[in-house]
Amino acid sequence: MGERKGLGFLSRIKDAISEAVYGIALHGQVASIKRMKMYTEYLFMLMTIGDMMGIPIVPPYYTLRLLPYMVPNIKGWKLRMLRERDVTDIISG
Amino acid sequence: MSRIGFKYVFERMPELRIVIFAGKGGVGKTTSSAALSYKLASMGRRVLCFSTDPQASLSDIFERNLFGKGEIEVAPNLYVLEIDADKRIAEYVESIRRKIKEMYKIDEIPREVEDYIESAVAEPAMYESAVYDAMVDVVAEGKYDYYVFDMPPFGHGIRMVAMADILSKWVDKIFEARKEALELDAAAARLKGEKLLEYEDQMLKELEYIRGRIVSFSRLITDAKRTAFTMVLVPERMAILDTEKAIEMFEELGLKMRGVVVNQVYPPQLLEDPRAPDYLKKRVLAQRPYVREIYEKFRDLIVAVIPMLNREPKGLEAVRIVAEELWESSLDLGALEALTGR
Repeated sequence: MGERKGLGFLSRIKDAISEAVYGIALHGQVASIKRMKMYTEYLFMLMTIGDMMGIPIVPPYYTLRLLPYMVPNIKGWKLRMLRERDVTDIISG
Repeated sequence: MSRIGFKYVFERMPELRIVIFAGKGGVGKTTSSAALSYKLASMGRRVLCFSTDPQASLSDIFERNLFGKGEIEVAPNLYVLEIDADKRIAEYVESIRRKIKEMYKIDEIPREVEDYIESAVAEPAMYESAVYDAMVDVVAEGKYDYYVFDMPPFGHGIRMVAMADILSKWVDKIFEARKEALELDAAAARLKGEKLLEYEDQMLKELEYIRGRIVSFSRLITDAKRTAFTMVLVPERMAILDTEKAIEMFEELGLKMRGVVVNQVYPPQLLEDPRAPDYLKKRVLAQRPYVREIYEKFRDLIVAVIPMLNREPKGLEAVRIVAEELWESSLDLGALEALTGR
């Protein structure tokens, strides 16, 4: 019993350490990868359903086939693309 | 040498399977399509005559309602398909909506997505794309010996051919962008120790499919051995200009226009016929400058001449008359030259 308790304690420590390691070493990386992924996603959307923003690319007859896969991203993408930008945006990247 | 008609086109092109009739509205594309199909079918070949006319002209010509009814045999071996493009689009879009609802288990399409779908449906390019897609479909099925297409007045059609190359490259680029996104996803998932759940594979498949369709359409139109792209024109100013422009466009794209069919030509014999009323003779003379222009501009391209008929070509009997003229024109190049008044 005591042993098991010790094990539970150890595994909690292990989890905590791994989370700490993840936090210190990897979280930034994962976040930046996710951001990059978001950019490629938005670029992809611009290249396919760009006509949603008024940029005609491919006959919509065919891009409609891709539309279902993009549904979750459309709102964020439109917000981002159509957002007004000012100097502070540029400075902060 | 001066004999003309589709008989000679088929002799010169043994692999010819697809004939496309294009041109301005009202010059006789549909009549020509029906007539050539009729002739080929009467020679014992299975023929599909394809039209998309929202005014349902094939239904008019064959005097029965064919619009949106699928492939219907109107004479032995002669099948007619008059597609209802609007209906096709509606069904297609509905399937997309259904897919979205199923994928995300939702009852209603999000507003911004619905907006996009609605604006896409309203585009004129949508209609044309649906027609071309149907063309690719029937040829890919391969059920017939010959396919005769009554092309809607084109704009995007030719552009789609021009775009086939670019679109193919576009798909390559998209592929790269997609793979990059996929790699990023995988990297993030690995670092977090999560499982990757995405529709990536299906998306790449869709892209491949899109490319396949566009390339197939381009091949269908540009295949110099199997396809004869033909323009129909009448001896009138606008039709001549239109044809000239189309030929120019074709050349720019490096395509070969197989020929032109000259429709509604008054036979020169009318001028000598004492029984012919004066007003008819006047019409023959009024046509003369345009016939001359056609003869001078397109002489080497003329594949057939259809004389002016006494009545509108309706019913199989009238189609048969036009068919014979298309197959072996009674007005040959010599007669046409005589008509130019030189």
